[in-house]
Amino acid sequence: MNAQALIDGLIAGAMIGLGAIGVTLTYSILRFANFAHGEFIAWGAYFALALVSTLGVGMDPIGPFSFGWMLIVAAVLAALLTGGLAVLLDRLLFASFRSRGSATIIMVIASFGASMALRALLEFVFTSKPVYFTRELQIAVRLGGGMRATPDQLLMLAVTAVLVLGVHLLLTRSAIGRQMRAVSENPTLARLAGVDVRRVIRWVWFLGGSLAASAGVMSGLLVQIRPYMGFDLLLPLFAAAILGGIGSVPGAILGGLIVGLCESFAVELIGAEWRAAVGFVVLTLVLLLRPQGILGQVAR
Amino acid sequence: MTPVHPSVVLRTSALVAGYEPDLPIVKGVDLAVERGDFLVILGPNGAGKSTLVKAIAGLVPIHGGTIALEDEDITARAAHRLVGAGLAFVPQTENVFTTLSIDENLKLCAGVLPAALRAERIEAAYAMFPDLAARRAMAAGGLSGGQRQMLATARALLIEPRVIILDEPSAGLSPKLVGEVFETLARVNATGVTIVLVEQNVRAGLGAAKSALVLADGRVVHRGPAAGLADDPALGEMFLGRHAPQGWAA
Amino acid sequence: MIDLVGYGAFFLTIALSYAIIALGLNVQWGQTGLFNVGVAGFVAIGAYVSGLLTTPDATGRIGGFGLPILVGWLAAILAGALLAYAVGWLTIRLRADYLAITTFGFAVTVQLAALNLESLTGGPFGMSFIPRPFASAAGDPVRFGLLNLGLVALVLLVAYFVVEHLTASPWGRVLRAIREDEPAAVSLGKSAARFRLQAFAVGGALMALGGAVQAHFIGFIAPDNYLPLLTFQVWTMLIVGGSGNNRGAIAGSVVVWALWAVSASVIGQVMPAGEQARGASLQIVLIGVALCVILLLRPRGLIGERRTVSRHVAGARRGERSGTMVATGRETPTP
Repeated sequence: MNAQALIDGLIAGAMIGLGAIGVTLTYSILRFANFAHGEFIAWGAYFALALVSTLGVGMDPIGPFSFGWMLIVAAVLAALLTGGLAVLLDRLLFASFRSRGSATIIMVIASFGASMALRALLEFVFTSKPVYFTRELQIAVRLGGGMRATPDQLLMLAVTAVLVLGVHLLLTRSAIGRQMRAVSENPTLARLAGVDVRRVIRWVWFLGGSLAASAGVMSGLLVQIRPYMGFDLLLPLFAAAILGGIGSVPGAILGGLIVGLCESFAVELIGAEWRAAVGFVVLTLVLLLRPQGILGQVAR
Repeated sequence: MTPVHPSVVLRTSALVAGYEPDLPIVKGVDLAVERGDFLVILGPNGAGKSTLVKAIAGLVPIHGGTIALEDEDITARAAHRLVGAGLAFVPQTENVFTTLSIDENLKLCAGVLPAALRAERIEAAYAMFPDLAARRAMAAGGLSGGQRQMLATARALLIEPRVIILDEPSAGLSPKLVGEVFETLARVNATGVTIVLVEQNVRAGLGAAKSALVLADGRVVHRGPAAGLADDPALGEMFLGRHAPQGWAA
Repeated sequence: MIDLVGYGAFFLTIALSYAIIALGLNVQWGQTGLFNVGVAGFVAIGAYVSGLLTTPDATGRIGGFGLPILVGWLAAILAGALLAYAVGWLTIRLRADYLAITTFGFAVTVQLAALNLESLTGGPFGMSFIPRPFASAAGDPVRFGLLNLGLVALVLLVAYFVVEHLTASPWGRVLRAIREDEPAAVSLGKSAARFRLQAFAVGGALMALGGAVQAHFIGFIAPDNYLPLLTFQVWTMLIVGGSGNNRGAIAGSVVVWALWAVSASVIGQVMPAGEQARGASLQIVLIGVALCVILLLRPRGLIGERRTVSRHVAGARRGERSGTMVATGRETPTP
């Protein structure tokens, strides 16, 4: 077994995990599988790309990294914009379904339609040609044990860790986090406890969208930017969220890492062309063996 | 418009409510709860007791009539904004957040209070329910049925409500615990909090309450003092005389 | 004139083959409330199974076996049913949207297999020389087109009557009861799951049949035909026609396919030659938005269901108060 697969898997898994946090939060609070979540990843990357290329300053690489300070600014703005996009999508689409009490599955269909439209819109504006934040080449650092990683990759792992810790603290320590958990368990009781459920829902969309955008910028930096980048991650995202247990943030990141590692080892053992099927295999196994996930509670 | 009565805390006028617009369950209820009262709402299965209080709490769509809390019209107000206005509702089941700790349950509800008051009110709640104080960090899911009812009541009291409405707090509890719950409620009422209670257990309800209201088929069929009603032969008739469709959850 | 007849026959043949697929989806979603996001996977299975069995011996891949077209179609039906049964068995006892996610993964995997199992599927180059019905008439395009249209219409008609018969049967009534009333479904316990599983298999079989019919009409298949876009198109057809209504599913297929063809040709003429790919994405944006708008404004579809529509669709309508999450759909039983 190649030790390098471990590093590659961890990096892929970190991005899947970041996306899966958004999936698991929207799922546990809004109670439906949002097929448009992958598009937030792609939109986040393209927002950042558009900002970087229009502003065109701060492009000189910082230290050992391949990007300039402008990308950091653009990433933060892209996260805010994508969070806003998610809130807007909810306002235009899902809020209407909620207020008329539509079946959750109607929302799943609508999210599927929204996913198609959002992705095609990216293709329309940016075409399907892959693009890159930077053309800088990076020299991989030796980590020992035959493993190598570029400075960018290591930084992204660290950023992921910080983001996950931040989300975890937000959920466990802050008032809005407490409200999210309350709404996730029992929306009616939450309203009786004075929680403005609509406000909580807006926060969940915003958070999910911003985290997805972060994953998108990272994936754009480490791999490439293309309209399908989010949609292709959708299955791994769902697999990670279900594997970790719906509603669990630590579970989502753990699930993401496991799926990422499985993908990376599958590439090693079977071949890169089967990578996309790994999410399905993991999903199938979880649904067969432990449908409530690793850290999840028995389905409500 | 009925004149504003200074001692009335909660009033409904010709209230019509139900999940479907064409199938009202509450069919024109006039209700006036005096300040400091302990009102028990009785009635056969399907009379609309639960629907009535849920409609007041903003959980069931209203199709006609008005609801007023003191002199404020709250008919169209969202459930989460009623809490701040001083109306607390304790549902029958699932009335605590099982995945949150006891402390988090209270903190969550204290969110509607001004920041300066929160800690003080939470400590006051713990003082009233020392059983809870001993288990602050414990997930509420680990509490017994009686303890959950206690936590639910504590959370409702946290906002110092003008009126607290409880939907069958005795459901599913052992007779001994039912007694404890009603004792607690009497204690709360003695501090001046107005209580409205929906109850299946007629004797226990009438034993604790000051006044009573009997619903049948979505309408008020009797109102008056609680004392003596339990032995009134007319009560049995109210329950049996009108045939509300069986199997309707109220 | 002859061109027009030929094109009309071609257009309708494709539209009606979609109608067979949409009928299958209607059995799953419209009648039973099972959400399948992997329609493309089942269609691909049908196309490839039938292609594999009926193509002449090909170099570079296993088969083909040169069997009659009818054998290919029957095998497609069987394969679609079996795979749908397997996918359904895995998820049907779980939450409704786990089925959606699993079918989505299934379609991704099928497409990947079509792409990578070159020795079986021909890989990215696909499978050609799939025998076409009435091949002897190919010299006369109009006659050939009309004969094929007749055949597809016949297959659709048979499928329609089978589905109608099933819908009206006690089996269909149980399915609708399950869809309308989740508590009733729960009280039926295991048998409810069995009924839904059967419906899912019937739907999968029809999708595979539709895929096979399409493959034989066009004569060539490749993995790119079975992208999620296909799933999305079929869903739009069903939603436009009105789920729960078999005639609606057919009408929706023709209407959406017509819109698709017209918008493609408009975009083809309006967009400059280098921008055709962009135009195609604009087309998807428009259809995606249209799907969402129909779901918002006419949840019963343009034609709608003849009988009662799920009461969950109607729902509460009272401003802020009843507001958020009064009914979170099927997961919260109405007290």
